[in-house]
Amino acid sequence: MQKQHGKPLETMDVVAFVSMTLFALAIFFPFYNAVLTSLMSAKEYTQHPVTLFPREIVLDSYRFLLGKDLVGKAYLSSIFITVSGSAFGLTVSVLMAYGFSRARFPGKKFLFRLILFTMFFDVGLIPTYILLKNLKLIDNRLAIILLCGVSTFNIILLKSSFEQTPAALEEAAKIDGANDIRVFWSILLPLQMPILATITLFLAVGYWNEWFWSMLVLNSRHKQTLQLLLRSLITEASAETEMMSAAVSDNVFSQGVKMAAVIVTMLPIMLVYPFVQKYFVKGLLVGAIKM
Amino acid sequence: MRRRLCHLGRELWSAKYIYVFLLPGLIYYGIFRYGPMYGLLMAFQDYNARFGVMGSPWVGLKHFQRMFITPNSISALVNTFVISFSRLLIEFPAPILLALLLNEMRGRRMKRIYQTLFTFPHFLSWVIVSSILKTMLGNNGVVNALIAFFGGERVNFLATPSLFRGILYTTSIWKEAGWSAILYIAAIAGVYPEYYEAAIVDGASRLQRIWHVTLPGIRPTIAVLFILSVGNVMNGGFDQIFNMRNGAVGRVADILDTYVYDITFKATPNYSFSTAVGMFKSVVNLAMLLGANGVVKRLSGEGLLQ
Repeated sequence: MQKQHGKPLETMDVVAFVSMTLFALAIFFPFYNAVLTSLMSAKEYTQHPVTLFPREIVLDSYRFLLGKDLVGKAYLSSIFITVSGSAFGLTVSVLMAYGFSRARFPGKKFLFRLILFTMFFDVGLIPTYILLKNLKLIDNRLAIILLCGVSTFNIILLKSSFEQTPAALEEAAKIDGANDIRVFWSILLPLQMPILATITLFLAVGYWNEWFWSMLVLNSRHKQTLQLLLRSLITEASAETEMMSAAVSDNVFSQGVKMAAVIVTMLPIMLVYPFVQKYFVKGLLVGAIKM
Repeated sequence: MRRRLCHLGRELWSAKYIYVFLLPGLIYYGIFRYGPMYGLLMAFQDYNARFGVMGSPWVGLKHFQRMFITPNSISALVNTFVISFSRLLIEFPAPILLALLLNEMRGRRMKRIYQTLFTFPHFLSWVIVSSILKTMLGNNGVVNALIAFFGGERVNFLATPSLFRGILYTTSIWKEAGWSAILYIAAIAGVYPEYYEAAIVDGASRLQRIWHVTLPGIRPTIAVLFILSVGNVMNGGFDQIFNMRNGAVGRVADILDTYVYDITFKATPNYSFSTAVGMFKSVVNLAMLLGANGVVKRLSGEGLLQ
């Protein structure tokens, strides 16, 4: 590395390298510690909490956690909400973005301002909660799917992508007698794949991480998502925690099970993240330019 | 007049497909984004679920006034301001510094690997991050084990009021700085190389080049992100605080959002009062956003939504 470009090493190179490496270690260590804790035995955790390699890898925390019926149900619940929510959000956003990307039509400016306003004015917790109550969506997964699916930011991203598509393509199709719906479906949509991938990923991560409205709305235990389950493991003196502390044995201990739950909950994100990171970055950059 | 109506009719008709595309979204915004705005009227009433918004008695600004005489809401308001302004002071510059340092690092591959690592925590919820943190900082956690190993006294970090806010800022930088730095890194990449070459010819050191070329080059990005942060001052970071707080630190941790949650979902709810607090928050946020936008625009010509 030092020999690159053949330039001599300056103080600034050292400062940058050392500080960035320290930050990288600071980011990495908590995850490493979580994985380590989830793989340790209770005995080792109490005797040697500071270690870099466990003397022995024990899967009891995972065995205990995954043996619980609730965890499987929570996984399914999270997957259901993530998949159907992303599909719903993507559909509505794409249709709306395409509509707004059209050159001119009566009411365009006014309608766009209406949706833009919601980006800067947060209507607040109580009115939204009462709306869900009035719509009879309490304890219904549909509430989460509907509430978190459509955001003005995503619509702006998609709209600008449609706008950048060369108009000639569309005109040619129109001369051939295709109407707006045809043009959209068979010509414009296939060209937006990169941004569609980005939006889908943003939506999926958002749904997977959603916990607040789920906590307020999903009262039935079998509808709990993974995030909620993790939360109740960690913060509340709930039935799960008591059940767990009762089960503490040589190899099952509360911190180990908690960290196993953390790993299980973040696993899907961890697995896809390295491959899709570039889409996230692209989405952020496109969005920033369009603001 | 008739002709104009006719003309509008023709325009509407020729745009009919466009409205078909917009329809689902407009219905969605109508119900889920503007529907609750109707509920904001509750803030000016003594709302009673039996009579609904239409039938509840109007009380003017009573609930807003009550907000400023209730000790708990005053303390939540003060905490929100203190935490938000500290965040602007401490957290806002962090991604700028990160981007500058990353830019000075040699080796493309290394940079890319580091950047991928730095952005990862952004994609985890505060539920996950706070779970890891609580275990690490717990009595048997690795941090206290290290302290004990070196002969120190174990510290109950998250239950110590004097440490709590510092932990908030540190963990927030840990989670978000890498993601926010992306925008600055992109902006740095967009600075003309000729400027650097000219600076080198003039004999500027690397530190001088950062100060006189890079920083002015990314000023528009800094301005826009600063405006957006100022438009958030009344939020204070609900997700993080809600997942990290506990009874021992309520005095320094409770912000307006957690206060609204507590009075609505833990005590007997007074929907009108809760709505008033929430609405006050949103209105101040919007005003701060517009105000910051105006000030920055006047000072530097940069701004939002030009």
